[in-house]
Amino acid sequence: MLFLQLLIDGLVSGCAVGLVAISFSLIYATTRVFHVAHAGLYTLGGYIAWYASTQGLPFVLACVLGVLVTTAAGALIQRQLYETLERRAATPLVMLIASLGALAMLQNGIAILFTPNILQFPNPWRTQIVSLAGVSLSYAQILVAVAGVLVFCGLLCVSRYTQLGLRIRAVASNPFLAEITRMRPRAVYVHVMMIGSGIVALAGILVGLDQAMQPYTGILMLLTATIAVIAGGIGSLTGAFTVSIALSVLQNIALVVMPGRWSIAATFGLFILFILVKPEGLFRKR
Amino acid sequence: MSKFARPTLHGVASSLAALALAVSTAAHAQDIAIGALLPLTGPAAPVGLEEQQGVQFAVDRANAAGGIRQRKVTVLYEDSQGKPDVGVLSFNKLVDLNNVPVVMTAFSSISLAIAPLATRKKVLVINAAAQSNKLANASPYLFNTIPLVENETGAITNYLVKTLNKKTAAIVYENAAAGIDGKDDFKKSFEALGGKILAEEPVEFGQTNYRPTLLKVASVKPDLVFVVITQGHPTYVEQTAQIPNFPVGAGTTFVSPLCCYAGSAGWYQSSIKSGISPELEKEFNDKFKTKNMGFYAREYFNSTNIALKAIEHVLAKGGTLSGEAVRSAVLEIKEFGSSVTTISFAKSNTAVRGVEIQQYGTDSRKVLAVEEGK
Repeated sequence: MLFLQLLIDGLVSGCAVGLVAISFSLIYATTRVFHVAHAGLYTLGGYIAWYASTQGLPFVLACVLGVLVTTAAGALIQRQLYETLERRAATPLVMLIASLGALAMLQNGIAILFTPNILQFPNPWRTQIVSLAGVSLSYAQILVAVAGVLVFCGLLCVSRYTQLGLRIRAVASNPFLAEITRMRPRAVYVHVMMIGSGIVALAGILVGLDQAMQPYTGILMLLTATIAVIAGGIGSLTGAFTVSIALSVLQNIALVVMPGRWSIAATFGLFILFILVKPEGLFRKR
Repeated sequence: MSKFARPTLHGVASSLAALALAVSTAAHAQDIAIGALLPLTGPAAPVGLEEQQGVQFAVDRANAAGGIRQRKVTVLYEDSQGKPDVGVLSFNKLVDLNNVPVVMTAFSSISLAIAPLATRKKVLVINAAAQSNKLANASPYLFNTIPLVENETGAITNYLVKTLNKKTAAIVYENAAAGIDGKDDFKKSFEALGGKILAEEPVEFGQTNYRPTLLKVASVKPDLVFVVITQGHPTYVEQTAQIPNFPVGAGTTFVSPLCCYAGSAGWYQSSIKSGISPELEKEFNDKFKTKNMGFYAREYFNSTNIALKAIEHVLAKGGTLSGEAVRSAVLEIKEFGSSVTTISFAKSNTAVRGVEIQQYGTDSRKVLAVEEGK
């Protein structure tokens, strides 16, 4: 029963990591920017929604507000920071450092504006549990799993069946050609950043709802997601989501056979072995 | 205005300004500055901010009573962020740039990191909340106004085994200095009394998902789960409540914030005998707009008063204010009374105090027993 509960919990956590991974994958594959500030946006979404909830707004509206504000913040970072640096022919290293700076500003700004305390959403329903066949899940966990799968499927559909999705894939595969064929890559980058930021905000809100939030946890979530993106194959949304779930499940069930302090190390050790064998990732796009 | 008057007026104005600056500088030079190295941001900030309130309350009351021998006391706060490396930089800044003779400190890892510097630079460091056993001998200049983990753990283990007849336990501990010490001490004393430890699971500082750890710990079906974490308590309780038949919890002073939730009702905790008079607590609550004066605020209030009393002792004897002199003063005075308990340094740099055994209700805690300090 322990194994089954850990497996189910791992699947749920994996959906949250998956949201961060697919949004990061989308942004990186399209813009080529290692957008570490994504971790700060993950945190921002959670805190905006938390604040709105504490002011009496129903959770759904608080969630929408968190997503909208974070989407706008992502667009702002793309327009004002990355685009400016790109126009000045900044190297990828400079972009990374700028992104780190944006992350630091976001995290510390959140800590100053809100609080550095660990916070929980004020919604009593989130901790109620549903038990079935000996496995228990809280309402918040169910929400994480359902939202994770729905958003992943939705993003896949947008990518494959919409004009915007086609443009995004075109720009991602060849930005130079996209520029000269007037696909306006810079506008696409903004759209991608907005979509990615909205998705990561949702992840931050739902994880905050399920567990708790503090300003500095986003970076660990992003680290796990980045590993999933690389192992899943850069540019592959399915790979990123699938490996996120696999990583989370592995981390959880490793606890059955080893102490907790070793389970993370063991999981990432397996990742290193995997990447040595298949460096292009599971579902290679490029 | 004549051409002679203008330079003269300018000269007078400049002289007045210089005089004002000199007077102000002289006045500030008379101030007594102490340092406080606390986690004011980061995951430990809730504790650090409460500690800061305790320090400031003591200093403000001292100044309201005329200061120390007519000299105003100021506190120079530095934010350790809960990180030893930042703590070391901040400590050096307080001592080298600001020349403080005393520094209030918090958290075991930071206190241990600055202890060698305290010895080398002869600065008195007062710890009022950290409990790692390594603090006992970390530095002759480090004084602990709170008993260390092994003293407190012995008291609660005794109660759990001899009174409550608990035979098996699992431990959930924070993977940091104080958590590891707490785990080791509980394990040692529980096994010495015939108990068996079925599982030991670490959690990380700042963690918000305890579920996998709690599931594993619950699966071995211990009589109790001993907890040693310093933050994330409400989340911990919440997630234990989501696991059916989770065993009763127990812990030391660290886990005070676990109290008074539906999920932690019936849990046990040892607590350093502490307290405050109702009058002082009301004054504190009025000043800081709080509902009660928490444990950390009380401890830092009492410890800051110890520092101030020692400083007064030095100045009363006509001595020069230095870390060495204040340290000697603490050892000469030896016993410092608060409104509830006596803090004694008669035996070592670590205070001897009583320990209470408490049980949580849903809105309060009940004292079941008291073990006096040895």
